[in-house]
Amino acid sequence: MAAKPSTTTTAKATYSPIDPTRKTRPPIFSGSDVDWLRPDSRGFHQCRPAFFRTGAVNSASGSAYAEFGNTKVIVSVFGPRESKKAMMYSNIGRLNCNVSYTTFATPIRGQGSDHKDFSSMLHKALEGAIILETFPKTTVDVFALVLESGGSIRFLVKQVDELDTLWFAVGDLPVVISCASVALADAGIMMYDLVASVSVSCLGKNLLIDPVLEEESYQDGSLMIACMPSRYEVTQLTVTGEWSTPHFNEAMQLCLDASAKLGKIMRSCLKEAASDEQE
Amino acid sequence: MGLPNASEDLSSEMEVDAFRRLFPLRYFERHLAESIRPDARSLSRARNTTISMGAVASADGSALAKIGSTTMLAAIKMEVMTPSLESPDEGCVSIDFHMPPICSPLVRPGRPAEAAPVVAKQLSDTISSSGMINLKELSLVGGKAAWMVYLDIYCLDADGALFDAALLSAVAAFSNLQIPTVSLDDGKIVMLPEEQKEENSEKEPVNKEKRKLTLGGIPFSLTCILHKNYILADPTSEEESIMETLVTVVLDSSNQLVSLYKPGGAVLAYTSAVQDCIALTRQRVKELHQILEEAISGMEID
Repeated sequence: MAAKPSTTTTAKATYSPIDPTRKTRPPIFSGSDVDWLRPDSRGFHQCRPAFFRTGAVNSASGSAYAEFGNTKVIVSVFGPRESKKAMMYSNIGRLNCNVSYTTFATPIRGQGSDHKDFSSMLHKALEGAIILETFPKTTVDVFALVLESGGSIRFLVKQVDELDTLWFAVGDLPVVISCASVALADAGIMMYDLVASVSVSCLGKNLLIDPVLEEESYQDGSLMIACMPSRYEVTQLTVTGEWSTPHFNEAMQLCLDASAKLGKIMRSCLKEAASDEQE
Repeated sequence: MGLPNASEDLSSEMEVDAFRRLFPLRYFERHLAESIRPDARSLSRARNTTISMGAVASADGSALAKIGSTTMLAAIKMEVMTPSLESPDEGCVSIDFHMPPICSPLVRPGRPAEAAPVVAKQLSDTISSSGMINLKELSLVGGKAAWMVYLDIYCLDADGALFDAALLSAVAAFSNLQIPTVSLDDGKIVMLPEEQKEENSEKEPVNKEKRKLTLGGIPFSLTCILHKNYILADPTSEEESIMETLVTVVLDSSNQLVSLYKPGGAVLAYTSAVQDCIALTRQRVKELHQILEEAISGMEID
């Protein structure tokens, strides 16, 4: 047992060699600045390019991989399968969601643990879209793993204690929700419609659609919508921070338009997979 | 004896899929008698293997390895630590193996998979004993600062031969690793920003350029199933669940034996069977070495 460097010293305090020039936060936004370029040189109302592919995990009933810029997510769907023994009888199906992060998802190495907040929000965003009556007494499990979290790579979080506040930004949740609904469709779970989700950050006078981690750390308010584009119904709406009414209306409209477009991309990915199967 | 005989009779009438699910062992043995496996491989053939380097942008080194549909994502993050008193001029490597619930229907959140700690232990034992990494190379300032290497391996899809795929991804991630440039500032190691590299003379550079780690003997492995007189290389999870005796052989690139695991099982192996496993591994090492070389040179062209 003498040569075990891997486990004996893990408790030792380590730190990331952080770029010292980043210690003071550079002003990202001054007053009515509108010419500011976003870190990934997008326009304010421009989403990151979205990419979906089904069938990422063979051992699952259905799965999908999504990539939005640097955000990379895998969602696996298992079931419908037997509910846990301790569960009460239910004549409609159950949905069970779990979101976890890899240790290397964030710029500073994290714990890679389950994200309870996102798990319950994912559940609530999908619940309304799934026809639970089609699988009575059983459970459908939706598990998501965030391989890499959005945000430009050069952006290093200044202090570890500030990571907590960033951790609870809406962050990768819209990607997880959209990816999960593609995975559910891949698994053949009956749904009223696909769920597409988009978020908007409010920075001063400007609205930034599909923000990355860096932008979220400067935001005054955030809005996230999960909706079923074809039915024009919202399954989840989360608003935090400071919003004026006209701003809020504008952001809503922006999100709904973007999710309609996102829905089309998700649909075309599923169509492609289905036509590949037929050949 | 009623059951096997009954299945013999039924097999002619039953649909293949139903037969496979009801009498899995008999189904496999029928194939084995013809020296073929249900996925059309010969007994000694491993599945298609691919490696892609630099899969994780936020890591210092990373790789994605696929053996058949078993998929492993390995990423390395470097942090600075104070070395221990016993080894003041050595860095440290910490290896974690994760099986998140996405990888298999058997893993549920909150309940870690049984296989995960076993594979993690085998991995850290194999990597530390193979001498692939020279820990002295990870030292920054003797007695003051050294690199702590965190290697995290995630199983994205579990379909048998988990250890082989995990080891392959780990090895590939290490060969992809770029040690970041750092300098000494007030007794603390800080990152050297790219643009300041020349002008910042008062800071003492510790690691001037991004460099790669020199790797010693690289370990490669092959897992085989022993069943009666048959040896099946690189099993799928279905095969692993039906026939339970596994032998894992780890050889380094110069064909020296690094480790050999046979964690029990119903079949007691003759030495000749173990030798056959080693011979199969030797062939496999050649294959894997070439795949790794190709993946590395593919990276350099880009």
